[in-house]
Amino acid sequence: MAYAGKGDLQIYLDNAATTWPKPAVVRSAVQQAMTIYGANPGRSGHSMGLAASEEVFRCRETLSEFFHLENPVNVVFVQNCTMALNIVLKGLMKDGGRMVVSDLEHNAVMRPLHALSPDAPVYDIAVVTPGNIPATVAAFERCITPETRGIVCTHASNVFGVRLPIREIGAMAHRHGLPFIVDAAQSAGVLPIDMQQDNIDFLCIPGHKSLYGPMGIGALLCNSNHMLPSFIEGGTGSQSLELQQPDELPDRLESGTLNTVGICGLRAGVRFVRERGIDEIAGREIRLMRYFYDRVADMRGINLYTPRPDIQHAAPVVSLNMEGRRSEEVARALDQRGIYCRAGLHCAPSAHRHFGTLDTGTVRFAPSVFTTQNEIERVCRALWNEAHSRSSTGVG
Amino acid sequence: MSKTIFNVSSVTNAMRGKSLLEHNGIRAYVGRTIDANGNNGCGYSITVNKEGDRAERLLVSSGIRIRSKQWED
Repeated sequence: MAYAGKGDLQIYLDNAATTWPKPAVVRSAVQQAMTIYGANPGRSGHSMGLAASEEVFRCRETLSEFFHLENPVNVVFVQNCTMALNIVLKGLMKDGGRMVVSDLEHNAVMRPLHALSPDAPVYDIAVVTPGNIPATVAAFERCITPETRGIVCTHASNVFGVRLPIREIGAMAHRHGLPFIVDAAQSAGVLPIDMQQDNIDFLCIPGHKSLYGPMGIGALLCNSNHMLPSFIEGGTGSQSLELQQPDELPDRLESGTLNTVGICGLRAGVRFVRERGIDEIAGREIRLMRYFYDRVADMRGINLYTPRPDIQHAAPVVSLNMEGRRSEEVARALDQRGIYCRAGLHCAPSAHRHFGTLDTGTVRFAPSVFTTQNEIERVCRALWNEAHSRSSTGVG
Repeated sequence: MSKTIFNVSSVTNAMRGKSLLEHNGIRAYVGRTIDANGNNGCGYSITVNKEGDRAERLLVSSGIRIRSKQWED
């Protein structure tokens, strides 16, 4: 998406961090939440409070339908995907044990696990073989020990777009009687997710990425009888005489006032995605990234790390480097040309270790539903100019 | 005809119950209530003006825990 700023046309391709712009229906829903649903949901009994509560519940229904979760009560609103992952991982491992992870995980998975035992890792790392489902599933299975409490993995790498075979990993986890947790930060809204068919027990999603909601809202969808312990305790507007946190969802995991504005915006975002069609969105974004990939693959001095993106094996994210230049330097040069992308390690050092880019980082490009081919073409030209200008001076 | 009031554990369960009943053709209302037993502090209720028995069966079969039940004329 391009927008006018500082008198020039600028292009936003940092959608893997946060999608921008938000659809008009989302902006409208946020404003409506501020004006109509302004009372505290789940606390008071007056009409305005109940209207807010009903709107919050509609979002639970929308999310449960979208991700094929049977009971909307099991949708827990949280601050973001990271918080959802913290709740699940620390809950499942409250009495010890180990977790199986992939070697492409974000720090949202790795840091909570590290915090549980800083001196002795409590996780076993499965090496992903991109594009090879049996090899990847076998790698996860080899990591299982009697101490294993669950398997957690990203649905798609936030740096390289590599898509993991969650359905097959989930089936294998269930054969071993283990819960399967999916970090859908990079896939929710752009790749289809069916919690039943994909064998997902806990799905962690952000609202502000490909679901087009505002920042500060995410959800944990629970499809398991496993009772996670409360993460924080406090007011729920229910069973107030009891000091003990209510045991039912969502109250067990939702203390304090909810982010109604974010929730209303998230609901509008999910409906926007549903109306556009997730297959249509994914297909279009993958086509854009293929076009980008093909164009930059021919450029001298550009290093790519993954095969040409295809919907079976990738999310619409491409990372690259320019020979002889640090990723941050390239991103800064693009910024001066009005192109916004993210460089560095993207909070996922594991993934960079896998692809051998831990020392350099990468420059990451991610489209949204609003990105056009013209914009991608302009980015390609800017990259060519950068590469050419450096090599012509003998530096690159 | 008397109204049936089902006290449930949370506003989310109340909203779920309302949604469920209305999908099954029973008009329902959510309100804040004090549990008649006075044991569990404040909570929420689902009120139906008719078909109280069928409403109860629907709620129970969907796993919504009814904490107590009242009738009002």
